[in-house]
Amino acid sequence: MREAAVVSQPNPFQRIPGVAIVLVALIVLFGAIAPGFLSAANLSNVLVQSTILTMLALPMTLIIMTEGLDLSMGAVLTLTSLCVAIVSLATQSMLLGLCAGIAVGAAFGTINGWLVAILGIPPFVATLGTLGMAQGLSLIVSDGQSVVGIPHTVRDIYSATLLGIPVPIVMALVTYAAFHGLLYHTRFGSYVFALGGNREALRYAGLSPNRLLIAVYAIGGTMAGIAGLLMTARMNSGHPTAGLGLEFDAIAAVAVGGTSFERGNGWLLGTLLGVIAVGVLRNGLNLISMPSSVQVASVGVLVIVALFLDGLRSRA
Amino acid sequence: MSTALQMAPAPNEVTATPLLELRGISKEFPGVKALDDVSFALYPGEVHMLLGENGAGKSSLMKVLCGAYKADAGEFFHKGEKVTITSTADAQKLGIAVIFQEFSLVPYLDIAQNIFLGREPKGRIPGTIDRRKILADAKRLLDMIGFDIDPSVIVNTLGVAQQQMVEIAKAISQNARILVMDEPTAALSDRETELLFALIARLKADGVSIVYISHRMAEVFSLGDRITVLRDGRRIDGVRPADVTPDQLVRMMVGRTVDMTYPRNFADKPGELLLQVKGLTSSSGISDINIEVRRGEIVGLCGLVGSGRSEVARAIFGADPTTSGEIIFDGKPISGEPDVAARRGIALIPESRKSEGLALLRSVGDNLVVSALRKLFPSGLFDPRSGQRTADGLIRQLRIATPSARQTVGLLSGGNQQKVVIGKWLAAGAKLFIFDEPTRGIDVGAKSEIFALIDRLVAEGAAALMISSEQVEICHVCDRAYVMREGRVAGHLARNELTEENIVRLGMHHA
Repeated sequence: MREAAVVSQPNPFQRIPGVAIVLVALIVLFGAIAPGFLSAANLSNVLVQSTILTMLALPMTLIIMTEGLDLSMGAVLTLTSLCVAIVSLATQSMLLGLCAGIAVGAAFGTINGWLVAILGIPPFVATLGTLGMAQGLSLIVSDGQSVVGIPHTVRDIYSATLLGIPVPIVMALVTYAAFHGLLYHTRFGSYVFALGGNREALRYAGLSPNRLLIAVYAIGGTMAGIAGLLMTARMNSGHPTAGLGLEFDAIAAVAVGGTSFERGNGWLLGTLLGVIAVGVLRNGLNLISMPSSVQVASVGVLVIVALFLDGLRSRA
Repeated sequence: MSTALQMAPAPNEVTATPLLELRGISKEFPGVKALDDVSFALYPGEVHMLLGENGAGKSSLMKVLCGAYKADAGEFFHKGEKVTITSTADAQKLGIAVIFQEFSLVPYLDIAQNIFLGREPKGRIPGTIDRRKILADAKRLLDMIGFDIDPSVIVNTLGVAQQQMVEIAKAISQNARILVMDEPTAALSDRETELLFALIARLKADGVSIVYISHRMAEVFSLGDRITVLRDGRRIDGVRPADVTPDQLVRMMVGRTVDMTYPRNFADKPGELLLQVKGLTSSSGISDINIEVRRGEIVGLCGLVGSGRSEVARAIFGADPTTSGEIIFDGKPISGEPDVAARRGIALIPESRKSEGLALLRSVGDNLVVSALRKLFPSGLFDPRSGQRTADGLIRQLRIATPSARQTVGLLSGGNQQKVVIGKWLAAGAKLFIFDEPTRGIDVGAKSEIFALIDRLVAEGAAALMISSEQVEICHVCDRAYVMREGRVAGHLARNELTEENIVRLGMHHA
């Protein structure tokens, strides 16, 4: 029997509209109804507040490209943020705090990868388990209390500027550049595409899909560690619910950005735009005094609208 | 096809040493002897056709060749030297590459990255890819095989034929000297087929040997330097195309031994018309299908795997949308959805009954009544005792070997699972049973019971449409048969014309 020819998929640039239309529409909407939304100070604020999510959503893109998921990211970020706070408080060193956060994050990421790759536990279940573990550990190390009195060097990271650009934005841009290079210009990046697209091809090329998969999840945990520093700096304290629900926003941003949950079809720039769209939405709703419950619901609507627009385009 | 005819003459095997030789290869699976003492020689620069019916052992031989299967017995010789092939890595080292029908490409990487996956040229920064070099290397390779395309194109945007070209480029880049192609033209248009043949001619001229599995007679004769025919896992003969006729090849392929008798009481005269399919075309690739089935008949639907048999069944059942044509069932037109077809009395008993026909973890009783719930309990309330009675009745009627209706279906033998599927449709009041490979995975004794059961069903006024790759079974059990080829009905065989040879003749591509 003759098979139908493979229907060609839109290339990444034909996909801009889904997420870009949504982003532009949101900016226009809140520019019109939210007082002060378009002020330079507020727009800068939106970007600064999007940096933590950027650091989670970029590795989440890679994980989703492998047909995986990491539900533990928010909880791991809470834990690493607490570690940063506790260690920097004890040693008075921001750097040691960061190292502690990265170590804990990388450990959790590696465990996630190991559970998924070696034990073959579905990513949804495996990372739900580590989510619980990270949440429990957060309550234990913090005793359920905020960790306050941390050195001002930590807090200063959030407010400092480099060449007039807020340091968090610089960090997010560096992260984006690093992920872009990693995904599109390294061998490892090619193998990430293959992990979701055709694992057999990797085996035929003599590569170990399992080790690559562990590495992808480990990168996610490591980034949660770095983002933990920013979170602690932002709140000027360690808080046992700091990262609550961030994995939801991260997955939403990836989905809004047009990365597919199948066959290794990912797009980093889309994820970045998706992060900003989520940030604009939350900021705008804040400005018009909507409670956070409405914000969560709105992010859900955002995902559906963006994917609907993509669906319309690909059918057209 | 003109390109194929101008190919270089085959090398003379009297003087040449075979590039690769297999001697006495055997491979057994539980209950099946897939390969039985098969020998096979491949000479440099030849296209060696592998011919045989479904299940003759072509795929097994191919998998032994590329190291995917480990042979139970037999020897391999590469350029006259004894070698072992126990893994795909062994095969790769000997320069053997398989062009899979299921492509081994990564959809969202570009052509160059796919060709050199795992062997990317290193860039200046550790871990990076030398982009300029990978594109240049790929371009050179693509030029070599005559495929004019930009190597930075994402593979997912390519058509089937172009992906196949990328696969071939990938194989060549790994210094493959032996290419194994499994029905490479099955998914190609005529124009694409010509390009592939031109490429094969070029590869041959470079001394690359090709093992080519095909069901199309025209290809076998225009492309092949030599033909090996397999049947029942055994090598029947090795011939040159010039020395045989298509008819002789067909005769070599058929003639499977019958190791059992099939019970069948043929009706004296056919019953009334139950199913009438007129000009049916569906998006799944079948076109202009005309079929009739009468009460009391078992009608065969044969042809090669992939000829569209299952697609016809799915279209009649409403599982695939039809684009044109008409299906008249029991005097009234039927269209649309599987639940409509099921309610009207059409039963589809799929090949993969584990995934499509049964809830394996539920009980025999639950499975038997699930399709009949609407009929048995019109009020919507389930009455366990009445359900139990129905299930017990069916277990007796169909002689299902189970300790009780409460037994988990997954624990029954294949034959008894098949009976549960039939019983389920019987309870729902089915009149037409469409069987897709009803005896697959069932042992010989159970086969004969299943056929006896089908025979009883049609004797009581039902009808059956039976898809089977087992031509012996079709010949013994069916009143008549339709033969499919490439999405169309290639011919109809009445009871007195129903022979294996005729089925194969109609099923092969002669054009």
